[in-house]
Order: sequence, then C-alpha cells, then structure tokens
Amino acid sequence: MSMGSLAFDEFGRPFLILKDQDKKSRLHGIEAHKSHIMAAKTVASTLRTSLGPKGLDKMMVSSDGEVTISNDGATILSMMDVDHQIAKLMVQLSKSQDDEIGDGTTGVVVMAGALLEQAEQLLDRGIHPIRIADGYEMAAQVAIGHLDKICDQFPLDQSHRERLIETAMTTLGSKIVNRCHRQFAEIAVDAVLSVADLERKDVDFELIKMEGKVGGKLEDTMLVKGVVIDKDMSHPQMPKRIKDAKIAILTCPFEPPKPKTKHKLDVTSVDDYKKLRVYETEKFDEMVKQVKDTGANLVICQWGFDDEANHLLLQRQLPAVRWVGGPEIELIAIATGGRIVPRFQELTTDKLGKAGIVRELTFGTTKDRMLVIEECHNSRAVTIFIRAGNRMIIEEAKRSLHDALCVVRNLVKDHRIVYGGGAAEIAMSLAVSQEAEKISTLEQYAMRAFADALDSVPLALAENSGQAPIQTVAEIKSRQVTEKNPRLGIDCMNKGSNDMREQHVIETLSSKRAQIMLAVQLTKMILKIDDIRSSSENMF
Amino acid sequence: MMQPQIILLKEGTDTSQGKGQIISNVNACQIIADAVRTTLGPRGMDKLIVDDRGKATISNDGATILKLLDVVHPAAKTLVDIAKSQDAEVGDGTTSVTLLAGEFLKQCKPFIEEGVHPNIIIRAFRKATNLAVSKIREISVKVQKDDPKQGRELLLKCASTALSSKLVAMQKDFFASMVVDAVMLLDELLPLNMIGVKKVQGGALEDSLLVAGVAFKKTFSYAGFEMQPKKYTKPRIALLNIELELKAEKENAEVRVDSVEEYQAVVDAEWNILYEKLEKIHKSGAKVVLSKLPIGDVATQYFADRDLFCAGRVPDEDLKRTLKACGGSIQTTVANLTDDVLGTCELFEEQQIGGERFNIFTGCPQAKTCTLILRGGAEQFIEETERSLHDAIMIVRRAIKNDAVVAGGGAIEMELSKYLRDHSRTIAGKEQLLIGAMAKALEVIPRQLCDNAGFDATNILNKLRQKHAQGGTWYGVDITAEDIADNLKACVWEPAIVKINALTAASEAACLILSVDETIKNPKAGEGGPAGRGRGRPM
Repeated sequence: MSMGSLAFDEFGRPFLILKDQDKKSRLHGIEAHKSHIMAAKTVASTLRTSLGPKGLDKMMVSSDGEVTISNDGATILSMMDVDHQIAKLMVQLSKSQDDEIGDGTTGVVVMAGALLEQAEQLLDRGIHPIRIADGYEMAAQVAIGHLDKICDQFPLDQSHRERLIETAMTTLGSKIVNRCHRQFAEIAVDAVLSVADLERKDVDFELIKMEGKVGGKLEDTMLVKGVVIDKDMSHPQMPKRIKDAKIAILTCPFEPPKPKTKHKLDVTSVDDYKKLRVYETEKFDEMVKQVKDTGANLVICQWGFDDEANHLLLQRQLPAVRWVGGPEIELIAIATGGRIVPRFQELTTDKLGKAGIVRELTFGTTKDRMLVIEECHNSRAVTIFIRAGNRMIIEEAKRSLHDALCVVRNLVKDHRIVYGGGAAEIAMSLAVSQEAEKISTLEQYAMRAFADALDSVPLALAENSGQAPIQTVAEIKSRQVTEKNPRLGIDCMNKGSNDMREQHVIETLSSKRAQIMLAVQLTKMILKIDDIRSSSENMF
Repeated sequence: MMQPQIILLKEGTDTSQGKGQIISNVNACQIIADAVRTTLGPRGMDKLIVDDRGKATISNDGATILKLLDVVHPAAKTLVDIAKSQDAEVGDGTTSVTLLAGEFLKQCKPFIEEGVHPNIIIRAFRKATNLAVSKIREISVKVQKDDPKQGRELLLKCASTALSSKLVAMQKDFFASMVVDAVMLLDELLPLNMIGVKKVQGGALEDSLLVAGVAFKKTFSYAGFEMQPKKYTKPRIALLNIELELKAEKENAEVRVDSVEEYQAVVDAEWNILYEKLEKIHKSGAKVVLSKLPIGDVATQYFADRDLFCAGRVPDEDLKRTLKACGGSIQTTVANLTDDVLGTCELFEEQQIGGERFNIFTGCPQAKTCTLILRGGAEQFIEETERSLHDAIMIVRRAIKNDAVVAGGGAIEMELSKYLRDHSRTIAGKEQLLIGAMAKALEVIPRQLCDNAGFDATNILNKLRQKHAQGGTWYGVDITAEDIADNLKACVWEPAIVKINALTAASEAACLILSVDETIKNPKAGEGGPAGRGRGRPM
C-alpha cells in the first residue's frame, strides 16, 4: 500500500496537499488492476457453484440472525453485504440484470469474473488495459451478432403455451422448487398470460401478486384468478361464502365524520350528551343504509370501525372486511371493476365491484384465515398463493417464481430464444475465436480471451453437474463444429442427449444478450480504473 | 542586552517566504497535475475515489476528480479552481488545463532557481499567451453553418471528440448524435437546465433514449392511481401548485361547535372546499393534472372516476420543463382555469423503463426542452455517463455559438509550440528563453497522450515536430495507428474556444502562483499552540 504522494519544499520537508493525506491510501497502476481483478474473481467464485440445475444453494445469516437460503445470484450478492468497492460493482451488476431481465443473475457475474480473469493474463503480457477493453467490446459485438443468427423464433399465442412452459422450466430448474417443476412453470405462464397485453407486448407485474402462507406442501401452491388478501370478515358470524358478490370499496371509515380542522365539542348537559349518542347511532344507521341501498352485499374498507359498528353491520347483514391495505384495495378494484369510493355520499350502484364468489379459506388447525375473491369481472389481476413447510422456502419460492415470471414476460416482449445448457455460450465462443483471427491489431488477443471467458459458463455447468469439465466442453465444442449444430450443450441432467432442443432447455435471447452486454460494460469500467484513493486504510 | 522580541502574528502561524516558497508551491502543483495526468485522451484511465462516507465515484473528468480530492494546500487549490472554472465556462478540457498549468510551472522552475525575477517570467508568459491565442484565432477553421447538414456534421464531430476519452467511448457515435439532437431541440439561448437527465439502472447503454419532450419518474401515488388511464392523445394539461388533499384549511385554527348538527356542517364544509376545487379542474377540460404539492387519495379517486390522470409532488424542475414544453402556466388557484393556462401535447403516456415507470409527454407544441434517459449497469456507470454527456453537451453548445474549430489530439498544441519557438528566436533578452520554455510546455499534451496510450512519446513527438516544421499544421497523435496523422481530416475536432480558454486559464494560474512569494497560514482555531496553555490551567 502506498501513501498519497508527497511533495517537498526547498528544505526537503514534506508538506500536505490533501486533507488528512496521511490517512488516505492510494493504489496505483498495475497493482490497482490486480486488486480489482482479485476482488471481482472472489465474488464470482462464490456464485460459481450455484450455476445450473445441479447448482447448490447458499445460506446467508444476517447480522440479526435472520436466515435466507437462495440460489438466485442477485439475492445472494445483495445479502452478502459487500464492502469492497469493486465487489460492490459486481453486486450492482447482478442487480441490474435482475431489474432488467429478472433471470441470469448468476450467469452474468460468472461471466464478468471470467472476463476479468482473462484480462489479468493479458495485463501480465503488457497489453494496455484499454486495448483489452476495446477488444472485449469488439468481441461482444461479434458474439451478439452471432446470437441473432442462431436464435429460434416462434409466434406467441395460446397454442405455444408449451414452449413458454419449457422456458420457464429451464429457469426453475436450478431452484429449490424443482420438486414441483412443471406445476410452478405452468403457474408462472398462466399468470403472465392472463395479465399480458399481447397487443402492446406489455406485462404489468403490479397485477400479479404473490402471497405465501406457512404450512401445507409446495404442491398446494395455486394460481388464483382473482385476489387473495390476508384478512378475514370483521365479525365471526358473518357468512363465509358470498356468491355474486357486489362489493363496495371504501376508503372512509365507518364512523361519524370528523373535520380535519382542530375542533372541540363541549358537552355541558346530560341532554347534550344523549343527543350526541343519538347522532352517532343515526350516522351509523345512515351509512349502512347508504351502502345497502346500492345493493352491495360486501364492504371492503381501508380503515377500521369499532365493535359497535361491527355489530350493526352484522345485524343489517352486511358482511365487511376492515383494515385492507392500499395496494390490495387497488388490486380488488381493478379485479372486480369497481371504483374506490372516498365518501358514502358518492356511493352508487355502478361503482360497485362484482365478483362471482368470495370465500374465506382456513388452513389446517391454525386459526389463520384468508379471503379469496374469485371469478372477477376482470380476470387480469391474479394472485399466486404459495404454500410450503417453512418461511425460508416460501421466500425462495417467491424469488424463483419471480424469475420465471420475468422470463415469460421477456418472451412476450421478444419471442426469440436461444438454447441453454451452455450451448449458446459455446456457439458464441466459436464465432468469436473465428472472427479474432481476422483482426490484425492487438485486440486479437483480447478477443481470444473473450472466447475463453465464454467457455467458463459451460465449464461451471459441467463442473457443478459432476462431469469432467474440460473434457466435456471440448467434446461438445468439436461436435458443434463438425455437426454445425449450435444447439449442443452440457447434458446436466444426464438425459443422454446433448441437443438442448430435445432436452427443452430454452433461454430468452434478451437475457443472454443483456448478460453479455452488462458483463462487458462492467469489465470495461473496471479495466479503465488505474488509481484508487480512499479515506480509510483498511479498505484496500 | 537582549532586544525584546516583537510578536506580530498569533502563535502557531505558519509563514514561509521567498524563492523557496515559490518552489514549494510549484512542487505542490506538480502533484495535482500528476493526479489527473493519466486521465487525458482516449486511452486515459479512470480514477476511483472513495470519500469519508464510503461513497465511491469513478470518473475521468478532471474537474470531478480534483473536486473529490479535497485539496487543502493553498497554492494547489488554484489549480483545482481553474479546472472548475474551465468546467463552468466550456465544460470540457478540464484535464488539459490542469496539465498545462502544471507544465508551465515546471518549465519555469529552473529559471526561478537561477534567480530570474518572477515578474519577468510572468510578463513573458502573458505575452506568449496573447500570441498563442491570436494564433489560434488565425488558424482556426470556420465551418459554414448555413448548410444545416454541414453544421450538424461539425457538432457531431466535436461531440464525439469530447466523448472519446470517456467510459462511453465505444458508443460515442450513438451518444454524440443523441447529444446533438438534444441541444438542437433547445431555443436560441441554449439553457442547460432545459435538458433533463434521468438515470435508470439496468439495461445496456444503447437502451438510453432521448425524449423530445418531458419525462419524469412516477411520483408517489395513492390507491386509485392504477385505475387512471395511462395514455392520452392531445390531452389538456393543468399545471398546479395546490394541495389537493382533505386537510385543515388553516393551521392552528379551532372550531367551536355548539350542537351536533353543526358538527356535520363543518365536515361537509371541508369536503365541499376540496370537491369544489376538483370539480373546477374537471370542468376546465384538463385531462392530465400535475401538481407540485401532494394530491391526496380522495382526489386521486375522484380523478380516476372521471378518467383523468394526476401526479402529485412533481419536482419543481420537471414541472417547469413541462411548462416550457407544453405551454400554459402554473396556477396557484383553480378559480381561473381557462383554456390559455392549460398546456397541451400530442401524446401523454406512462411507460415502463427498466424497473421504473415514467410519465412521458411527447410532441409538445413548444418543445424547447428534452429529456435524456440514461441506462447502464451500475450506479457509478450511469453517473459517469451523465458527466461525460454533460461535457459533450457543453461542447456542442459552445460549438453552436462559435463555429471555429481546431484539430485535437495534440495538433493545435504542437502548432502553437512551433509558432512560439519560432517567435522566441526573434526576441533579444530573457524573454527568449521564457517563451521558449512555454513552447516546450505546450508539448505536454501530445506527450501525455502518447504516454497514456503506451507509445514511445519521444519518437512520436519528433515526428510531429518535423511535420509541423514542414507546414503540416494539423498533424497530431493518431491513437489507433500509433503514429501521427492529419487530425483535421481524421475528424478529431474541438471548438477553438475550448483551447483559448484552457490556455488563458492555465497561464493565468501559473502567473498567479509565480507571483506569490509568501504564505501566512493562521493556525486552526481550537488546536495548535503549545500544550498546557490556556483553559486556566497553570503551566
């Protein structure tokens, strides 16, 4: 570690130029590069073993003892609480893959780690870091161009549901939920298809809600074409099942209205007090009547009401649900086609939401209850209701389903697919190394390094599946060339075939593309830094 | 007999003076110049700076780096200041200006050591600067702007030269045209704040887009928002500065209610105040309602009910830009929502960009504004992109105002160096040496370009000197071929004003530092001073 540089005056005394210069550390030149690459490689090697269907999970314990088990690259990294600046960039990299695509968060980090590892060797040979970065960029263009060539396309409609399910299954393959592989994939596809706007190629994730409840089996997970809310009827004697529900959605409380201005009511005599009592009951009466008049037979209320109102509602046979959160209210309104009403006076019949059936769900021996609103007027809002043995599995199932949903959404946006299992990477690697020979400048070396880095994904896949990595990859590489078949990949599940089309291992083109682009972008950024100054000494 | 010591300054004051002081100031400036040296040019590297709070910044921009270094040395601060002023004035060339000032000082250090009076050096430098500036004016190439196509070409070239040293260098064509389009959309004054820059993490750089209008992030919304329509064609837009929420009309007011009936009346009155406002907005025919202040849940649901779109808590800057683009005016009351205070645009839409939803207004009738939506992998990456684009935007703005360009890549510096060297030979006296020194100092730019790229600087510089002596005015370093080339033909263009400003600022800073021969530094309050004194404690 070198200190910040010092200047000397005419007597040779050093003097300070920067504030707290003696406390700052500076890393410069090739050492800086080495330190960056080291950090990035460490992060990448953590994730390497979770790649692929045979990849293993990581368990993270947070500072307050909370346990998370995950296979999702972005989740693992964000939980790791990384402190090193360059490592933080890697975390952001996987996060931005997560934001944009939702899937392939592990792959992108492994790829970036491999690119940097290759760059280290080139740096040792004395190649200028920016030349390496330029070479990588050129190689990425070639690779993406090649991807466009080898991709497959299929039109998206209900008849191709099978293909969508296969893609979702590839994503779910590496996750904990692969016990109910097909079921989860179907849930994801159905959920997306029911909210997707195929015309505009837009999928609004706000309309898909995920609820989890501990207990039961993973197999009990289901897709509800409607809304599930974690609430029950406000009074235990209210009906548990309402057919042809007409729902009034209120955001005002069942209580006498209060002005917002600071106010004070002086009650001076018993008469006054009685009057006030009467007034309050009248108000309740009036409100319930207003709701009843519109023909509503269920009230969803954003706020609460006291027991007296509750009792009154029961008497008037108006089932009600109280304390329903804002987003849920909105979802119910969208699903049932109702309007959110802020005032009793505004309630009219056409503002009511309609649902075929509203029922209360009870679970096993627990007293937990949930309300399911189904057969809605507008079936575009759906809820995925996850059951599993413990909270950690539910959380992981949610994340896995999120990945699967994202993948299906990407297919709705862009129908093009490539084959997984490392097939696309091997094909790109071959294309890049072929193209590299045609380049006369130094960048040739960087391009070759890029091709080698691309191999790291199939290598890791083979390694994680317990096969001899180099041998397997070499074999597939040669087969891809001789058979001219870019669909050959690693046979992770030992099914006996290397053709990923037969194995139905499909990934979206947009995901692969984003992986390459993001990884190259990050590598380039890291390679460009040759000077780190930091205030605390223990940082580097 | 002992003379009593006269104490002029507070104890602990640091003074140093004379020749030694100048030398030590010069040395300090060298350190600063060294800090940004390697960022110059297309093969320049970036710096990662971590501040006390652990926030990391990765940058290639000289001014940004120097700002973050937190320089305390008084003379060295001058260099930071000129970098900042170059940033404010022309936006680009911040590294060059620091390097030049450092090099000027380095070249005159031997003269100071030999006892040349600083004032003579200063005079010579001023003279040389004037000569150089008039030379730039003389040889700069004017581009005909009457032809819009050629004018655009000029701007594109300047923008891509500015971007070539940045992180986004590979996408420079994409961003250069984006920047030029953005600046072209502005009115004649080219106000910088009318270009909005929004950053969305995720996606590739190429996913960045330019919106010829206004775009801003979805604001905080209440229940009911999702039920509002998200797309209008030719909507009327109401821009408000009113809180549309059920609330106490007056703070600290108190209502005394005598009977229960009146209670209801007060409540109704409050509702009516709000409903009246909403009613008026609805009646005015506005379809999109934007407000600087919050729009509450009641209002949101009211608007959703009537197929209006609303967004509350819109940042001031965005609201102003909407105003510029769509016309109309910001109202503080709903009493007078007539047609002429409502804005309009061709299309309003809410769009998903990465993980965020954006409100986008396009096809605005008075589009004097635009929004750049930047995408990129990491937060630092987008931030650096923003800084790079800022430089490019500044350059384009400058180039629109001044159509004179010079060739970059060290070409103009070599030419000036040659011109000053030739000129110095015609003068008798000390100035000859000093102007010669400045000529030598100017060579630092091409030399550094070569060093950063890993070329043999001496070799390339010799080639350049030879070419320039033969009259090849625009020969500079060719980074891609590791050789020299005619950079005017190679389209490495920079506005002449950038170079003029850099040169004058650098020479002024150098003169300033040379003219200081004493520093008096007061001790910091609270610390320093001999221990044991003060606070009433006995010695």
